[in-house]
Amino acid sequence: MNRLALSVSSAIARVTESALGPYQTAVIRLGFSATWLLFLLREFPHREELYGPGGPWSWDLAQQLIAVNHAFTALMWSDSGGWFEFVYVLSVLTGALLLLGWRTRTMSVLFMIGVLSLQNRSVFVGDGGDNVLHLMSVYLVFTRCGQVWSLDARRARREGAERARGERVTDRVGVVLWAVFGAALVAVTAGGRFDGTDATVPVIVWLVWLALAVWWVVGRRAKSAEPRILLDVVGNIVHNGALFVIMAEACLIYATAGWYKIQGSRWQDGTAVYYPLHLDYFSPWPGLADLLSSSGTMVMLVTYGTVVVQVAFPFTLFNRRVKNVLLAAMMTEHAVIAVVLGLPFFSLAMIAADSVFLPTSFLHRLGGWAARARARVVARARRTPLPGPRAPENPEPTHADSPA
Amino acid sequence: MDAYGTDSGARRGPDDPGSAPEPEPRTGVAALSPRYQIGAALALAVVAVAVCVHLGMVFLHVAPSNTVTKAHGKAIDDWIYPEFEQNWKLFAPNPLQQNIAVQARAEVQAKGGEIRTTGWYDLSAEDGRAIDGNLLPSHTQQNELRRALDFFVATHDSDNHPSGLRGSLSESYLRRIVVLRLDREDAAGKGGVVEQVQARIRTTNVPPPKWSTEKISDKPIYRVLPWWTVSAADTNGGAE
Repeated sequence: MNRLALSVSSAIARVTESALGPYQTAVIRLGFSATWLLFLLREFPHREELYGPGGPWSWDLAQQLIAVNHAFTALMWSDSGGWFEFVYVLSVLTGALLLLGWRTRTMSVLFMIGVLSLQNRSVFVGDGGDNVLHLMSVYLVFTRCGQVWSLDARRARREGAERARGERVTDRVGVVLWAVFGAALVAVTAGGRFDGTDATVPVIVWLVWLALAVWWVVGRRAKSAEPRILLDVVGNIVHNGALFVIMAEACLIYATAGWYKIQGSRWQDGTAVYYPLHLDYFSPWPGLADLLSSSGTMVMLVTYGTVVVQVAFPFTLFNRRVKNVLLAAMMTEHAVIAVVLGLPFFSLAMIAADSVFLPTSFLHRLGGWAARARARVVARARRTPLPGPRAPENPEPTHADSPA
Repeated sequence: MDAYGTDSGARRGPDDPGSAPEPEPRTGVAALSPRYQIGAALALAVVAVAVCVHLGMVFLHVAPSNTVTKAHGKAIDDWIYPEFEQNWKLFAPNPLQQNIAVQARAEVQAKGGEIRTTGWYDLSAEDGRAIDGNLLPSHTQQNELRRALDFFVATHDSDNHPSGLRGSLSESYLRRIVVLRLDREDAAGKGGVVEQVQARIRTTNVPPPKWSTEKISDKPIYRVLPWWTVSAADTNGGAE
């Protein structure tokens, strides 16, 4: 009984005292925002056809469907082409800023709004990759995903240093951003744009906006440290809850995909993998597909291997070493799917979701490589445009604290 | 209880406007007086319940129909739709084993007034050619027509009668895609106007692997949809 009480109290300590998995949450932030950003840039020439008011799934048709499913999409607020372009470009920008980790919490909300607006506007052009991004963009809002590898982390370091020198730190940008965010939210709500929309998104957006205000007021005005610590604890709890949901969601994806496959005759007779490789819509490299499926035994091994990995993965989380082996196998399989089945964005989204399970030591090493690569590039860029006598190394402080 | 007293490094909310306090020596619930600990406990309880309910609902949503989903289907759907809908039966229980293509033709009124019917255009084959050798297939090539057809088939009976609102929406959607694609193929010719369009669905079995002894028909099966009159609304802005 005593041991149980002890482990419960240490578990409570863990989930309240810190936002767990700072590197894992940062890497999924990078993964999902990069996937979305690359997708939007890829589809930029096709944006009108996919999501524009005059596309095949016209604004009118979308309006009729949304009147019955109540999904959230800012694109239904106006049928003008200008508004559509604005939302698309805003979605690109917020995706890029979330990638950089600039004002992460606010950007994660705008990222969610962008993803949902475009996807819910045209639900019949998406695939599994869009579905993953849709869910994760909502979950990401609740995480502290900018603790490392972000401009926010760099800003926090600088502010910490300024404060240590006894300087007063004011954050005008944050206040302005919050005010603009609030003004837009009030205008949207008062204008009745949320009427008839499912409550999920409006509630999330309002909650985040109010929470940012409370955080700021308490940080400035509170006389004792306790209110601030309480807010920090609440932030940690919410983050850890969301991180758990993200991990469980990834497990549910694999479990569903695996357990349903077991029931299929083609997965049982070991030929399943052959078929997608020979569908016209999923075979960009017919020669490669033929080569991969030239041996019946190989196809069977890959077919069975896929099912085994997908079904087993959730259970391997209890053993670090086995989990890492399976993780590598799944990421490799998704990388192969990206090319062979012509599903690059689906695969990227799945790899991003997988990476929430990467070990911290590996992510540390990855961060180290990235920082060194960046330093080399910066050094070379500074050397090349200076011919003739070499200028003395310029010890700019801005380059010293790169966010890595 | 020493476990609480760790560093407070990257602890502050990443996006907090305003100034953050001095680094705290202690964080977590241990640093709080009982009054504030009640607040923390409340937050923990609310988040724990929300996480459990949400994951339970998602689980029931993706699980096969069962005792619980039959009894509480409405509550589960209310929680899941519209924003948490998901389907992970990826190539399951069986992968698709047929190539399903959409072909279309048009009835065109030429400039002189005479009416002619074009040959069949294989729109899915166009998609297939666009995907071949493509590292980054577009959703317009890979998903648009394919999923529009799925939507159409799911909302129509075998006599092509639509069911409900979704049925009529899917018909308009497929018609608009066909009109757009035929326009890109310049099916109407110079000065011609597309008056009606017709689509047919061509289903061909993927030939069994060469190491297999299975024998299946390699003859395509056609499902011909009715002629659809093209209205001005079908062409607005659709031609890009």
